[in-house]
Order: sequence, then C-alpha cells, then structure tokens
Amino acid sequence: MEAAPTISTQGLTRRFGELLAVDGIDLQVSPGQFFGFLGPNGAGKSTTIKMLTGLLAPSSGRIEILGIDLTAHPVEVKRQIGVVPEGMALFGRLTGPEFLNFAGRMYGLDRETTAKRAAELLDFMQLADQPKKLVTDYSHGMQKKLAMAAAVIHGPKVLFLDEPFEGVDAIAAGTLKTMLQGMIARGATIFLTSHVLEIVERLCSHVAIIHKGRLVAQGSLEELRAGVEAQTPAGLVDNSGDGSVNGARPSGEKMTLEQIFLRTVGGSRPAEQELSWLG
Amino acid sequence: MIEPMTTNKSGQLRAIAWLRWRLFVNGLRSKRARLELLSQVIVSIAFAIGGFGGAAVMAGMTFFILERGKPELIAILLWIVFFFWQLFPIMATAFTNNPDSSELLRFPLSYRSYFLVRMAYGAFDPATFLGSLWSFGILLGVGFAKATLLPWTLLVLLTFAAFNLLFMQMIFAWVERWLAQRRTREVLGILFVLVMLSLQMIGPLTGYFGRRARPGVIKFVEAIYPAQGILPPGLAADAVTQAISSQFMTSVSSLALLCAFALIIGYSLHVRLLAQYRGENLSEVAAASALPRDRSLRLGWNLPGFSSPVAAVFEKEIRYLLRSGPMLLTLIMPIFVLVIFRFGPMHSVRHSGSFLARTPDTAFPAAAGYTLLMLTNLVYNNFGGDAGGIQFFLASPVSFREIVLGKNLTHAAILAVETIVAWMGVSYLYGRPTFDVTIATLAGLLFAAPVNFSVGNLLSIYSPKKLDYSTFGRQRASQVTVLISLGLQIVVVGIGATVFWVARHYGNSWIATVILLLLAGISLSGYAVVLGRMDHIAEEWRETLVAELCRA
Repeated sequence: MEAAPTISTQGLTRRFGELLAVDGIDLQVSPGQFFGFLGPNGAGKSTTIKMLTGLLAPSSGRIEILGIDLTAHPVEVKRQIGVVPEGMALFGRLTGPEFLNFAGRMYGLDRETTAKRAAELLDFMQLADQPKKLVTDYSHGMQKKLAMAAAVIHGPKVLFLDEPFEGVDAIAAGTLKTMLQGMIARGATIFLTSHVLEIVERLCSHVAIIHKGRLVAQGSLEELRAGVEAQTPAGLVDNSGDGSVNGARPSGEKMTLEQIFLRTVGGSRPAEQELSWLG
Repeated sequence: MIEPMTTNKSGQLRAIAWLRWRLFVNGLRSKRARLELLSQVIVSIAFAIGGFGGAAVMAGMTFFILERGKPELIAILLWIVFFFWQLFPIMATAFTNNPDSSELLRFPLSYRSYFLVRMAYGAFDPATFLGSLWSFGILLGVGFAKATLLPWTLLVLLTFAAFNLLFMQMIFAWVERWLAQRRTREVLGILFVLVMLSLQMIGPLTGYFGRRARPGVIKFVEAIYPAQGILPPGLAADAVTQAISSQFMTSVSSLALLCAFALIIGYSLHVRLLAQYRGENLSEVAAASALPRDRSLRLGWNLPGFSSPVAAVFEKEIRYLLRSGPMLLTLIMPIFVLVIFRFGPMHSVRHSGSFLARTPDTAFPAAAGYTLLMLTNLVYNNFGGDAGGIQFFLASPVSFREIVLGKNLTHAAILAVETIVAWMGVSYLYGRPTFDVTIATLAGLLFAAPVNFSVGNLLSIYSPKKLDYSTFGRQRASQVTVLISLGLQIVVVGIGATVFWVARHYGNSWIATVILLLLAGISLSGYAVVLGRMDHIAEEWRETLVAELCRA
C-alpha cells in the first residue's frame, strides 16, 4: 500500500492581477523524498514554495501537508515544517545564538531544549566561534547556515528550502548537504528549489519541473530520464556541437538532469538567432 | 573587432532623469502607493506654505533692515538660511529623500556625470527648495530697497546657494562613509543625539544663567561676532552690505572668499565621490575572532503568565531596542524635556500664581503624555525593524495575535518604566505630584496607550515601512502613518485635556480619574477586539508585509 503524500496540492493556482504565476498545479511528494523543484526564472518556483509554506495565499486550489489542510489549519502545519525562504528571514540585530534561541521558542520548544539544540547547531554549522557577532555582520554563507539551523531546530518532518545553495561556498555547501542527507536518512521529507542542477541531480531522488506556471514533469530522476529519452533519438548531436546542451543526447550516455531540464522546458535556441555584435 | 564604445553624457543624464521618473510612476501602481502620494501632496503643500511664507518674511525683514540702515543684520537672515539648509535634512529624515547614487556606478558613467547626478539629487531635497526660496526672499527685499544692487545680490546669493548645496552633499557623502560600518554608525548616531540634545539645552540654560551672567554673555557674543564674518553666511552678508556702502573692493573680496569656501567644500566632496566612483570597499565583514568558545547554555527569558513565544518576542524586542542607539536615546527625551522646562520658561512663571504655578501636577501628566508620544516611532511601525524577519513570523507556528502581544508588552513595559522615571524626575525637579493627579494620569495612560496600540497595530500591518533603527537619515516613515498618528494624538490629547479641564472646573481630580477609567475600559475592549482579529488581518495583508519589509 502506498503511503499518503507528505505534500499534496490540487489545482494550486496563483494570480497576480492579469498574470497567472502558478496554473493549477497538482503536486505529490511522498514521505522521505528529497524533492527538487526546478524551473526557469519566473516559472513560478518561489511563488509555489511561498504558498506551500503559508507565506502567500493561493488564488485557488488546495494544499495538504502531512495530510493537514494548510488553509484551514496553518498553525498546525507550520509546527511540523521548517522553512528557509528566499530572503532567509533573519533578525539582523540579534546574535546567532540569540536568534536560534528565539527560533526554537517560537517553534514551541522549552527553554532548556532550545538552548541545548542551539548550541549543537552552532557547533555543527561552525558558527560557534563568534557568539557575540550580530547576524547583520555575518557573511552571506554564514547567514545561510544560520537560516538553515533555525529552520531545523524543532526537528521538522518537512523542510522547504528556496535556493539553499545560492551564494554559498563549497565548504558551507558541504556542511549543509551533510545535514540534509542526515535528515533524509532519518525519514524527513525535503522540498528544495535550486538553479544548480548538478546539486539537485546528486541530492534529489525525485524532481518536478515547472514552466510558465504549469507542472510539465514530475517523478523520479529515472522516470523523467526514461520519458525524455523515449522522445529523443540517441546519437542526435545538438547544434552547439559539444553534445551537452540543448537537451540532445550523446549516443551511449545517460542524459544529465540539465539535458532533461532543457529538453522539458524547450531551452534550445534557433541557430540563426545570434548576437552578431558581441565579440 | 569590437569598436570602442563612446558614451553620450547628455544621453546618460537624460536616462537617469527618466529612470527617476519611471521609478516614481511605477511606484504608483498599488492603491497603497497612491494613498502615500496623497499624503506626500499634503506634506508638499505644507512645505510650499513654509517656503513661500518664509520667502515673504525674509523679503519683509530684509527690506525693513535696509530701510532702518542696518544692512549688517542681513547676516542673521543668511545664518538662519544656512542652519536650516544644513540641519533640516538630518533632523527631519522622514521628509528627506537621499537615493543611493552609487548604484549607477555599474554603468559607464564618467566621473563628471556622476558628480552632476549627485548634485541633481541634492537639488530636489525639500531643504534646498525651502532654502532657495528664502534666499530668493532676501533677494527680493534687497531689490525693493536698493534696486540697483539686484544683479550683484543675485550673484552673491547664487554663490551662497551653490555653497549650501555643495556643503549639504559633502556632509551626506561623509556621513554615508561613516554610516557604512555598524560601529561607526552607532557612535555617530549617539553623538548626533547628544549634539541635538545639547542644542536644545542652549536656550534654557542661557535663560537660566542669563541674568547672572549677562555681561559675560554679551562679552562673548561681541568676541565671536567678527568670527562669523569670515564664515560663508557672514561673507555673503558682507558682500551685500559692503556693496550697499559702495565699498566695492571689500564686497568683491568677500564674494571671492565665499567662492573659495565653496571650492574647498567642493573639493572635499570631490575626494569622497571620487573614492565612491573608484569603487571603494566598505565591507564590514570582520575577520574571524579567535575567542574561546562559550560552552555554557544560555536560556531565553521567561515571562510569567505568558506563553513561551510571547516571552521570546518580548526578549527579541528588548534586545533590538538595546542595540538601537538612536531609538534608545529618543526614549530619554521625556526626562530631558522635564529638565529643559525646569530651567526654561516654566521656571520663570513658577511662582507667578498662573496655571503653570502648580507645576508638579501639570508636569507629570505632560511628561507621561510626552512619553507615550515618543513611543509612537515603535508602536506605529511594529514590524519596520524586523525587515526580512517578517517572513520568519509568517512561517512560524505562532499566531500573529501572540507576536503582536509580545511587541505591545514591550511597548507597555517601556511606557511603565518611563512613567516611573518621569514621576521621579517630576518629584525631584518640581516637587511630588499629588496622589489624585498621579492616579488620574495613570488612568489617562490606561486609556491612551490601548488606543495607540490598537491603531498602531493596524497601521503596522496596513502601512508597514522597512526601517533601520541604527541609522540616521534612512528612516523615512510612511507618510500615511505619520498623518494618521498625528491626527490620533490630537484627538487623544484633546480628550485628555478636556477631561482634566472638567475636573479642574469642579475642583476635583477624582472626576478625571473616573472618566478616564471609563474611557480606559472602552479602549481596552477595543484593543482586545483588534488583537483578536490580528491573525485574520495579517493573513489578508501578508503579501503587503512581505513585499514592503523584504525589499532590498
């Protein structure tokens, strides 16, 4: 018997005036999945993640997280999820330890547990060396790690991450990946958006692609690959000649996520369209 | 081969002017922005009245001074213009618009164009508008009194205006440099408040010690008077005055000195802007310190009777406040005002048997009211300092009612502490207020505070504005909030004053207490209703909150 989805949307739609940013998305994310949510710029990724985390109201449609209706019971849902939104949602004039203490208590932990977990997280994230430093004085990578620590301090069952690796150096990215993989191993579900397709390919077991507000592909990487490969004749070389872009598949090799992505969203460009004045 | 790119300077300047215009027009797309524009129109009308009214006064005074044969007094008018032009942008930051021109540096803008853009931004400041109009008033006054001097005075005043514009931009450019780093920013903020407070003390202290030290003061003024003559406003005045006396050589030399000042200031501005233009790095990411790790666990605050999230919000708010030098220092203003009144005009009428003769009983309600007024910066823009942190509030499993309650508890705690300090200050400076007046004042606060908190909570959501509590000059408040809060204060103070007047009329302060407690019951009920609806309102307005507070 298949387990009930952790994240489920039906006909999720969001309009901004005339613009249809998200158009009737039906999304299913099962428990324990590391789910990558991809799409070109302006496709509706951030709008979707904001709706899934209660930061933005849908124009229509239904969202269920862990089987609970988000619109009807927002507080119950928020208690079980962690979020690192686009702007990281930090309080700049607190120190790192103060912010984590604050976050833990806002998520309903008692003072002792909060303090203990805050100390552990600061250690793990290598942020414990400068306890008096204000968050506003942190580097971008440090802020990302702190935002991540605040999102997991209550041990959420579902974690939503909007571009968690953007502007993060390799060392910090390694720390974050280790933590996320540990969470997956313990049964949590992670939903992330990212433009770094290599990272998504390495981390995520399942992927959905959104394009112009519509969900154009959803499934495991293998399912997506099989679907795209079935439509792409093997050995076809793309017009750039390197065999790695525009969604074409070099003969005998597995398609990369980047190729699947480009093929799915139609990222190829007509050969005659060139900017001849560029050097 | 790529052809070398030539830059069209006038085209660039036109593009920047177009950019400012489009930013303005595109900013009017939402209803809220249009409401903001309406408020700005009202404020602009007030500025226009101040500008044209001030120009008329300046013209009249100049004419009067010249008719009386005392042209040297023009210096006083020019000093007024100078101080206003330079101090208004710093003191009235809510009305000052100082866009960050360094964002244009990514484009191939020549240094000359960059300098010109910076000056153009300054030219659209309200202080420049008013200062120019007042200078024009002086010009008119001279024209009416001595028409032949009009061209010369025009030249002098244009030079004076150019000096003021350069000086204002130079101050902003250097202050920006110091504000770029948090530590210097906070030190500068505290210094600024201390200077402002010291300036406010000059009048009262002069009045208090004036009678005893009058000969000394006169001697001092006589000693420094020649010094003002070699400073820009004095030089501009001298250039006009000497021309009236037909001392043309002296007049020309004064103008030359004024030009020299403008050049020196211009050079100082050039040094700063050139550093910006060359891409100076003011990053304040400190090197990692080698402090030993503090392994002790630090527990959050506990607030008996309130939930853990409310206590956490309370703790966060207090910590924010304690790290916000400018905001913290504004909270000591009520005590300062008590001191000012103690040594100022109130002192002189203390024994006159007038209304103010009962100072302790008047000073305490006044100080308590002023305390509440000082809190409006915080109360009417609850989330302004949180900036991107608003997303944390919206994503957390805590009802907005609790978050707002935590913030209001902070405000109430500050009000309580300040009221106690005010009571002690009044007792020390004026004598202890009577028991019935003390109770009536507390009842008044019990009425006024919930009214302010209720309206403040609503405006904080309907009309939020991102603020940097630590920085002077970048705290432009929402004009809608400014106007509504001003109106509410007039109504609340009006009700309070009427109640106290009725009580005085019947010679019984307990009447005021009873009426104010009844009003407090109503306002507390209203507060409870508003607080109860906070979740619903925040949900409806969450996009406005995020859009306004999370913008870069």
